[in-house]
Amino acid sequence: MSNNKIDILNVVESKLGSKVQIQPGHLSTGSIIANNGLHREVLKAMIEADEKTGIIAISGLDLGENLGVYYHFRTSNALVTIKTEVPKTNPIIQTIIDLHPGAAFHELEVTDLLGVIFEGNKPEGHFVLSEYWPQGVYPLRKDVKANEIKLSPPQETNKPAEDPRQVKIIIGPQHPALLEPEKFSVTVDGETVTKVEPRIGYVHRGIEKASESRTYLQDVYLVERICGICNSIHAAAFVEAVEKIIKVDIPPRAKYLRIVALELNRLHSHLLTLGHAGLEIGYETLFQYFWRDREPIMDLIELTSGNRVYSSLMAVGGVRRDIRAEDIPKIKSVLKTLRGQLPFYRQIYTDEPTLRLRMKDVGVLSRKDALALSVVGPVARGSGVDIDVRKDEPYEAYAEIPFKEIVYKDGDTWSRMNVRMDEVEESINIIEYVVDHLPSGPIRLNLPRSVPAGEAVNRVEAPRGELFYYVKANGTDKPDRVKVRTPTFANLPSFLKTAIGESIADVPANFVSLDPCFSCTDR
Amino acid sequence: MIDYLLLIFRILVFPGFTFILLLTLFCDWIERKIEARIQNRVGPMVAGPAGILQPLADFIKLLTKEDIEPREAKKLVFRYAPLAAFAIMMFAFCFIPIDGGSVLSFGSTVGGFNGDLIIILAFATIANFLLFLAGWASCNPYGTIGSARVLTQFLGYDIPLFLLALTPAFIAGSLQIANIASAQATTFLPFIFLAPWAFVMFVITMQAELEKDPFDVPHSESELVGGLETEYTGAKLAFLHLTRDVQIVFGSALVVELFLGGPYGPVFFGPSWIWYSLWFVLKVIGVVLISEYITTVVARFRIDQVLSGNWRILLPASLISLILTVALVTWVYPLLV
Repeated sequence: MSNNKIDILNVVESKLGSKVQIQPGHLSTGSIIANNGLHREVLKAMIEADEKTGIIAISGLDLGENLGVYYHFRTSNALVTIKTEVPKTNPIIQTIIDLHPGAAFHELEVTDLLGVIFEGNKPEGHFVLSEYWPQGVYPLRKDVKANEIKLSPPQETNKPAEDPRQVKIIIGPQHPALLEPEKFSVTVDGETVTKVEPRIGYVHRGIEKASESRTYLQDVYLVERICGICNSIHAAAFVEAVEKIIKVDIPPRAKYLRIVALELNRLHSHLLTLGHAGLEIGYETLFQYFWRDREPIMDLIELTSGNRVYSSLMAVGGVRRDIRAEDIPKIKSVLKTLRGQLPFYRQIYTDEPTLRLRMKDVGVLSRKDALALSVVGPVARGSGVDIDVRKDEPYEAYAEIPFKEIVYKDGDTWSRMNVRMDEVEESINIIEYVVDHLPSGPIRLNLPRSVPAGEAVNRVEAPRGELFYYVKANGTDKPDRVKVRTPTFANLPSFLKTAIGESIADVPANFVSLDPCFSCTDR
Repeated sequence: MIDYLLLIFRILVFPGFTFILLLTLFCDWIERKIEARIQNRVGPMVAGPAGILQPLADFIKLLTKEDIEPREAKKLVFRYAPLAAFAIMMFAFCFIPIDGGSVLSFGSTVGGFNGDLIIILAFATIANFLLFLAGWASCNPYGTIGSARVLTQFLGYDIPLFLLALTPAFIAGSLQIANIASAQATTFLPFIFLAPWAFVMFVITMQAELEKDPFDVPHSESELVGGLETEYTGAKLAFLHLTRDVQIVFGSALVVELFLGGPYGPVFFGPSWIWYSLWFVLKVIGVVLISEYITTVVARFRIDQVLSGNWRILLPASLISLILTVALVTWVYPLLV
């Protein structure tokens, strides 16, 4: 596409010139300092120049006197950070949801955790924090003292009377369709969904805050605990960000070993979802089959990392464990067996009539909406948006490995699941290529425990989509700020949009096609 | 006097209450085992040899559990609807010929009366309606929606079920279920061969009537948690489960009586009732296997797909089937016999 040639920083410079301060090369492609409401002008210019401009995250920082609000945007070929600051005494900034609706959740999160008020996007109650959390205490500010926080029950508010014809079905926090706790109040008129109100935060563990009081070494294992399914990708994203701050290049063998761990992660995560989708549409047999074939992949994770679930393989400067030469044939034979099963599964996913009835044209997300809501990963690729961090901004050794980027055009549940189906095969290809081309050499560099002052952004392609880390170091052995934006957090708005007007029976099928992970979402 | 004692024995032990209950639990075990094997699992293993006592163990376990009633529930209906549904299903079973005659056969008669086919189909409908009431009375949003789905589904599928059940009645020339079964025995030609299309449609309709996959929308746990059973616990839940299992066996028994020649089959030695009971059980298990196979290899439909499938496809098809049957019975089948 011609879009790939756009130099987004030049565009911004030619439009806004001296009003903003541009630092090329800082924080990936570049960062733009735009205070006093200019962030909206910069964003407008970027959206005009590149239709694929989407929000990745908003990092809120406590900078002492001021609060920093960093908008991280992706374009088709760049990652740009717009830096703004607001005074702590009067932390008010204009919202961007009128320009880019996908930013709504990101803004609410910053409001809840840091107390920045976005004019035009006012929250009702807490967004991630508990209802018992006191007003006016913002956990990510540095002056918060944990032992002074008093939790108190929320005050009862008079709710307006509800239309008696509309039944409210509460999905969650405990519900058979959800594997993790999160609440969705679905208002139905007969069988048709008219409204979905999410309430996230049931598994908010404060990992971003906790990582500030632990060393980098401990944080690698802490961020792994954000998500049980995609644990190594969290660790990899974090250590890569730290390596970017230190400005160190890890040995090639370590890069390849990381890819094996990451792709095994993707493989078992996709198999899990493909099976789980069967369960949601009442196809228990499919569920049992997929989970049976996922088990050998879990064994491979154990074989390569020593642990079945939390691999704990990543370390700053490399990996902790090598793959033995005699294990490579084992890995290949397991993958070969799985490859043999794939035609059967693909046939079910493409041809089985009852499955097609439940997945075709369910939860349709158009390409336009997908771009406006900044969805990521298989959800975006199912809607014809070709974003894949492994291709767009290759990390580790992905630039050297041949693989296809899977894109389906229809944007329904069926295409999202088929994106995953095809990616399973690509992952097998990648792992086979990697174990065949393992470079020799060391697997880890010994680095000092303290990290020089600096900041870095890093994004990787998790099984559920783009995973984003922002790490700020202050020269000690503990980070100053770690911001995590997980893929499900970015994908959730699309569900709220596509569920409206559908049958209540489509809600689980539509929802599972996002591959939601609430532990990730809440952190 | 001895006749009456025999009748009481027939009602309470064989082929009545006890036998039907044991058959139900056995079929439940077969279903679970088959489903597990198709899905690459092992299924029940612990209670009894190969887990054969598992359904009974589950039932007894539920009986011992705490019984919780929601404050909002309409108590009378909530308490007695499951029991009434169970009772009416057992009563409907009494008209089905099992060991040559039905449970209520008295002396040398085969039991039943002309028109009892209609009666037992009506009983099945009433049982479904009672289940709907049970869910409705629990005053829970999942239960309400689940039971509303039960109602919409069985109201729709009852019509083709009745129309298709008339096919064997026309061929046999009787509305008495015992006569329909014995008509197939005298000609040695089960109606599945005379009207195979009706058999296929009847099995599909039965699948919908029994709320099994792909028609199990009232029970879809990913949307409705437990459907109409959501608020039920303890003994009441045990009876809801048992009612559902009896319904499944009843549906299979109906297929056997109408299309597969009833309990009749070759008698090799000894008293005929042993052989007839054996053939009946074997045929019922065969139908259960077919239905369970359908259940495991498909996904669940959506409620609107279930309904349009009924009104657009099954209902017109069963009307055509009825017309075809009448034509064949009048002009073609007399030439064969």
